[in-house]
Amino acid sequence: MTRRLPSTDVVVVGLGWTGSIMSLELARAGLGVVAIERGPWRDTATDFPPATSADELRYAIRQDLFLRPAQETLTFRNTMAQTALPIRRWGSFLPGNGVGGAGCIGTATPGAGIPGTSPIAARRSSAMARISCRPTI
Amino acid sequence: MQGRSTSRRQLLAATALVACLPVAAGARSIRGALPWSAGQAYPPPRLSAQGWLFFTEMEAAAVAAMANRLIPPDELGAGGAEAGCAVFIDRQLAGAFGTSAWLYMQGPFAEGTPQQGLQDEQPPNRRYREALAAIAAHCRENMSERLFHTLSSEEQDTLLKAMEAGTSGIAGLRDKPFFELLLQNVMEGYFADPAYGGNREMVGWKLVGFPGTRYDFREMLERLDQPYTDPPVGLYGRPDWTRAPR
Repeated sequence: MTRRLPSTDVVVVGLGWTGSIMSLELARAGLGVVAIERGPWRDTATDFPPATSADELRYAIRQDLFLRPAQETLTFRNTMAQTALPIRRWGSFLPGNGVGGAGCIGTATPGAGIPGTSPIAARRSSAMARISCRPTI
Repeated sequence: MQGRSTSRRQLLAATALVACLPVAAGARSIRGALPWSAGQAYPPPRLSAQGWLFFTEMEAAAVAAMANRLIPPDELGAGGAEAGCAVFIDRQLAGAFGTSAWLYMQGPFAEGTPQQGLQDEQPPNRRYREALAAIAAHCRENMSERLFHTLSSEEQDTLLKAMEAGTSGIAGLRDKPFFELLLQNVMEGYFADPAYGGNREMVGWKLVGFPGTRYDFREMLERLDQPYTDPPVGLYGRPDWTRAPR
């Protein structure tokens, strides 16, 4: 079961915003770095070409690019008197997933109120539904 | 409790990282499938073959009729039926949205506060199947053996308004939540990219003047006082670009 991996100077767990910058800095300083990431590898050219990155249904409504709650989620309550329940679909915050982490969605732009940015979200009443994203790395 | 989805612990095990981390006693290892593929990058969907992937003919007719009352055709633009909202919802229900495959769908299930968001145990595909059956039964028994799509527009509106208010009294139907799901999906179908089956010929975008997935508006910067007249562009371009001109 146990597989012994080659020794390295640094292991970075999670290759999101912080992990990416740390890995780069440490590698530049001459250390050997292995980064571990639970999500998929992502390339700007194939994952976020400008021709498809404006897909509102896929990214803003169905929450592609984010951590899928089926993978991992957490429970939530507002007060101690309430019963904490699992977050089944992301609402008040949107955890990133994959190489780049939340940096992939770091340029999320509020779509509502800006004509021509998001026809679906502009017609939803829920404030949370108004988050539209433009994935970029 | 182990459900369909892969827990973080299993993921870590599957990626051969157990050696690096303390694993709780009793943890199980699952090898093989991760919830993504290496180098996974998938293009927008290509509309699959003709016909219905999820709906029966009767269900599809009912959903198209409902979409056509929520967004009725008028002098301004196409209605929900012509826009293909039923096709859109059919394809969505046949995919990851229909089964809630991306969502956390294990217990415990309880009535949450509004702030706790979605807590429904049933994924959308089951909600549609059961709701459409309940509506069909209601129309058969209480509206002289007819179906939703054979009711008059006024009768359809009355029923939809009652569902929206939660006062329809349709047996076996949580009418208000279903109406909200239906309305959301009809709007998505009307305004999402045509690649998903709705918004046919970009009728939704033309209606509201949405330019589509164009991403470079620099040439517009100098034309502040002029209306934007360029036709919309979808993820797969425009029909004129791929079809022979008539």
